[in-house]
Amino acid sequence: MSDTIIIKAEALSIIKDGSVILNAVTTHILQGKITMLLGHNGAGKSLLLQALHGIIVPDSGVITAPPAHTQKMVFQKPILLRRSASRHFDFLCPDISQTEKMAWFERAGLIGQMDTPARQLSGGEQQKLAFIGALASKPDLLFLDEPSANLDFEASAKIESLISDAHKNGVTIIMTTHNIAQAHRLADHVLFIEHGKLIEDRNAKDFFANPLHDAAQAYIAHHHA
Amino acid sequence: MDFWTPFKLAFDLLLSSDTELMGIIGLSLKVSLTAVFISLVIGMPLGAILASKKFFGAPVLIVISNTFLSMPPVVVGLLIYILISRSGPLGWLEILYTPYAMILAQSILVVPMSIALSRQIFETLNNEYKPLFTSLGVNALRRIMVLVVDARIALITIGLACFGRAISEVGAVIIVGGNIRHSTRVMTTAIALETSKGELAIAMALGLVLLSIALLVNIASQFLRHYFKKAALDV
Repeated sequence: MSDTIIIKAEALSIIKDGSVILNAVTTHILQGKITMLLGHNGAGKSLLLQALHGIIVPDSGVITAPPAHTQKMVFQKPILLRRSASRHFDFLCPDISQTEKMAWFERAGLIGQMDTPARQLSGGEQQKLAFIGALASKPDLLFLDEPSANLDFEASAKIESLISDAHKNGVTIIMTTHNIAQAHRLADHVLFIEHGKLIEDRNAKDFFANPLHDAAQAYIAHHHA
Repeated sequence: MDFWTPFKLAFDLLLSSDTELMGIIGLSLKVSLTAVFISLVIGMPLGAILASKKFFGAPVLIVISNTFLSMPPVVVGLLIYILISRSGPLGWLEILYTPYAMILAQSILVVPMSIALSRQIFETLNNEYKPLFTSLGVNALRRIMVLVVDARIALITIGLACFGRAISEVGAVIIVGGNIRHSTRVMTTAIALETSKGELAIAMALGLVLLSIALLVNIASQFLRHYFKKAALDV
């Protein structure tokens, strides 16, 4: 797999109500890899993810990303329109053919729920709908904010298999999670954030085998327990 | 006057299908429903724009539309009267003392309500959808279309509120309509006339008829809401 940089972030800072939420984060995202953003609640993972995606403008710093790349985001709590699952999918992917749409619903196990209002689907089904809506438009970059939080084992496994498939198809994935086992299974690279500071930016194997900072060690130990 | 007399009269009036009464009811509905339709067509997109786009002058527009919410109907009637009377700038339209003038007056009264209420609804919805819109790079026109479609049930309530204000209004329509028999007489102006003649029972009976119409419109809107709920489009 290539080591081409797809996003470059330099000295990103976000300040909210006088507090520094993200503190001069400098990193880069490698093409085709799964980069995992780890850290405690409120560490700044989701903000960094949203800043890298471009839906939050940092107070200072520069993000460089090739404009030709298409990117999609799946939110921790999927944002669903007040319409059927099928019509919500049409909104996310307006240019997709009916056959392709059916194939995506089939793949997600949602074929029987196409006419169900999107907001009446179960948590797992909503997340799968958001996923196929993001994947169907064949993005180069996929941003996932705790994609399997609050999901049962089965739904979580399905989401993970969709992530793995996208990764195999060359999609660059940047995601946050609190599920250390999932991070272990999926991550190529880890960015560990503590109090808004990026304190580890390493290959996943090295990170999990030998976290350098006490905070990272404590985080892994706590989430393994 | 016996307490039950107006009720008996109202019942008799409705059962008699009196041509004049039916004409008054018909005109009331025609004028108010047209004004509500116009106000929704103007107010909803404006509400959606004010809720979803930040632009120079937006706060001023919000303040103006909110101020117009408290505009007394007689003042609106007077302003329109000055505008459309023969010597007024819009005198050439020759609509004074016609239902068109009444529709214009009611529309002007109801548009601010339609803007203010729809802006509130769209603002809530837009805050919820905003990250998705931004993430997908959805343009302003598509945002507004999504907001209008997804707020469809709340918009029925706005329509109802606007209808309530329009059909119960008397000050403006009496000034610009003139309460002319068989021409511009509506329920409220008829009530005002009967009251001034001392025919309190008939006035009260007409009031009850007006209330019955409002009840029917509310029942119809409940059916619509029920349909949308059943189709689970308001989740």
